[in-house]
Amino acid sequence: MENTIRRRTLVQAAATAGVAAPLLAACGSGDDGNGPLKMVVWGGDLDKETYQARIDLFEAENPDITIELQLIPSDQYEQKVQTMIAGGDGPDIMQVAEGVNTYSSKSQILPLDDYAKDAGLDLEQRFGPVGSLYTFEDKVYAIPDRSGAMIVYYNKDLFDAAGVAYPTAEWTQEDAQAAMEKLTVAGTQWGYGGAGWWPQWWSFAYQNGGQIIDDGGQPTINSPEVVTALQWANDLAHEYHYVPTAAEYADMGPDMGGDPAFAAGTVAMNTTGFWAIGGLLEAGINWDIAPLWRGAQQAVSAFGSGLAISRDAKDPKKAFKAIEFLTGADAQEVIIDKAQDVPANLEVQQSDAFLAPSWATKPINMAAFGESADFIFRAPFIPQWNELQAALNDNLGTFWNEGGDAQTELDKIQTQLESIITD
Amino acid sequence: MSQTVDEAPGAERAALRAGGRRKPSSRRRKEAFYFWLFISPWLIGFVGFLLGPMIASVYISFTEWDSFTPPQWVGLDNYAKALTEDPVFWKALGNTFYYALISVPLGLVIGVWLANLLNKRVRGRKLFRTFIYLPTLVPLVATAMVFKMVLAPSGPLNDLLGWFGVDGPAWLLDPTWVKPALIVLSAWGAGGATVLLLSAMNGIPRELYEAAEIDGAGSWRQFWSVTFPQITPVIFFNLIMGLIGSFQIFSQVYILTAGGPDNASQMIVPLLFREAFSFYHFGYASAVAWLLFLVILALTLVAFRWSRSWVFYEQEVR
Repeated sequence: MENTIRRRTLVQAAATAGVAAPLLAACGSGDDGNGPLKMVVWGGDLDKETYQARIDLFEAENPDITIELQLIPSDQYEQKVQTMIAGGDGPDIMQVAEGVNTYSSKSQILPLDDYAKDAGLDLEQRFGPVGSLYTFEDKVYAIPDRSGAMIVYYNKDLFDAAGVAYPTAEWTQEDAQAAMEKLTVAGTQWGYGGAGWWPQWWSFAYQNGGQIIDDGGQPTINSPEVVTALQWANDLAHEYHYVPTAAEYADMGPDMGGDPAFAAGTVAMNTTGFWAIGGLLEAGINWDIAPLWRGAQQAVSAFGSGLAISRDAKDPKKAFKAIEFLTGADAQEVIIDKAQDVPANLEVQQSDAFLAPSWATKPINMAAFGESADFIFRAPFIPQWNELQAALNDNLGTFWNEGGDAQTELDKIQTQLESIITD
Repeated sequence: MSQTVDEAPGAERAALRAGGRRKPSSRRRKEAFYFWLFISPWLIGFVGFLLGPMIASVYISFTEWDSFTPPQWVGLDNYAKALTEDPVFWKALGNTFYYALISVPLGLVIGVWLANLLNKRVRGRKLFRTFIYLPTLVPLVATAMVFKMVLAPSGPLNDLLGWFGVDGPAWLLDPTWVKPALIVLSAWGAGGATVLLLSAMNGIPRELYEAAEIDGAGSWRQFWSVTFPQITPVIFFNLIMGLIGSFQIFSQVYILTAGGPDNASQMIVPLLFREAFSFYHFGYASAVAWLLFLVILALTLVAFRWSRSWVFYEQEVR
């Protein structure tokens, strides 16, 4: 027994020595830190460039802290980060989105309220209602970083040709449907790109006053409000034919959907996020953006992500200092200058840099994002988010492809969600 | 083949030593050293990256583990859940059987047929061989993209069916037809088996055919009585590898359908991947993996037992 302990101590000492040596060497220049902060984000080249530019700004102002950026392709991000954390080598700063509470519910990321208070950071003031988006059991686990509402892209030429007024936030679902009808030319042109993705049909559900998960954490996905919304979203394709069906999209090409079909001028309206703008500036169609229409009330989903600190962070204080800077006005302006996304910081969202971006080769109604910010609904980021999504996909596949009865499908999903959530 | 070649080069010396019982020579020790040295990359890889994780996954399958917090021992709960509670497990297992039991025989029939054609002395034979093997070399992601277009509701495949008056289904979008669509995709890769079968056919002695011809056997009879028995070992090899491979089907499903619509194309490996890396149920996923292992093991044993009645090994006759 004594032997083993001595042996283990020896091994530990050796390991520590082995690890410490390069660290000491790295600290030779005189600062007392312990290596750079590791920050992981997902995305592509543009994302890497933008995050790096923001980090450069931070490092210029804080010469004693360095951040090492690691970009992971989006489809591998969750698994890579999971592996890092499981291996005890989690990043200091990590990007999180809908899956945030997978980590927070298992205490893999740190609650940030105290750090924010110490730094004098008022989330409500800096981000508006989005400030509390990444909250779990009354604690904030991530600081919003990018956050843009889903918006309506519309093809001006097709609207003019059909004699339809451009969409506004004051449109009702009925107005939208009437416009879609006029904008549809059987077999060649469709009024709308479709609402089969959760941010789309959930927006309609919340507009009707429904909720996917109620405030007490119980699923309410088969409530009449949600059923009506889902049925409407589906009927637009299979009942009224204002939206291409799955079969019609498949005939247009592989991985076809609302975004590429809108760029091709095949659908007159499309609801998606900021990211479509870059590609559309080069597309040969005449378009603009508007806030989403309304139902009984205004509601729209938002796309975004926040920055969190993992439990493995060596110095959470430093990491928070970095996050505070990265979500501050100066660093957030880079997000819009590079045309990457909508910055979460309200001050930047209302600045001229955002409303008339330097890269815009034509006037774009960028105020649509700020206008939408007031009625973004808080999507239920439950810890079992991926299972919630799978329950939807597993039951709604045929429904979206061939049409069907929303009540029947949502009753099944409700039962499944009840067992997922109590598990 | 003579007897000695079959045995390891060191065997004769070992026999000598057993008689003489001399002390181990330095040469022998050196040889042993080199044996362990050269085998070590594989051995370390095997123990560290295969055997270790396998043993660990047996343990994990008896726990509930989200990969972040310490595993909780739950005994056989995960196995019980898969077998009695989870409808998706049975659906995925059924789909996997459906896929394997059709795609493997189909692939073999197509492979044998193509190999037999290519074995004929026709013009441009080498070119055809290349073409038939080519699909196997195309990366799966590219193939899957092409097949999304080919299998589109008004795509080329349905156009082709239309010429014969068949109204083609929506393939990947239709729960009934999505599995046949995956099988069609698997048949695209039949060229891999063809190459092995072809080389087996090339190895059949000419005199067997000459003798058969003198006895008045036509080409059909020659195929069934000479060619087929001679290539049964290779067919059997392809059968086993095909069974194992098709029960582990993953990428095609992951890229083409993601298991949809409504789990109609959900297979076991995509299911366990989803449970582990998307839902953080590592214990359950490990249990599913071991259940799949048992299924493959059982099927392979059945195939080996069955092979005694039809696989022909020439050496055993001599």
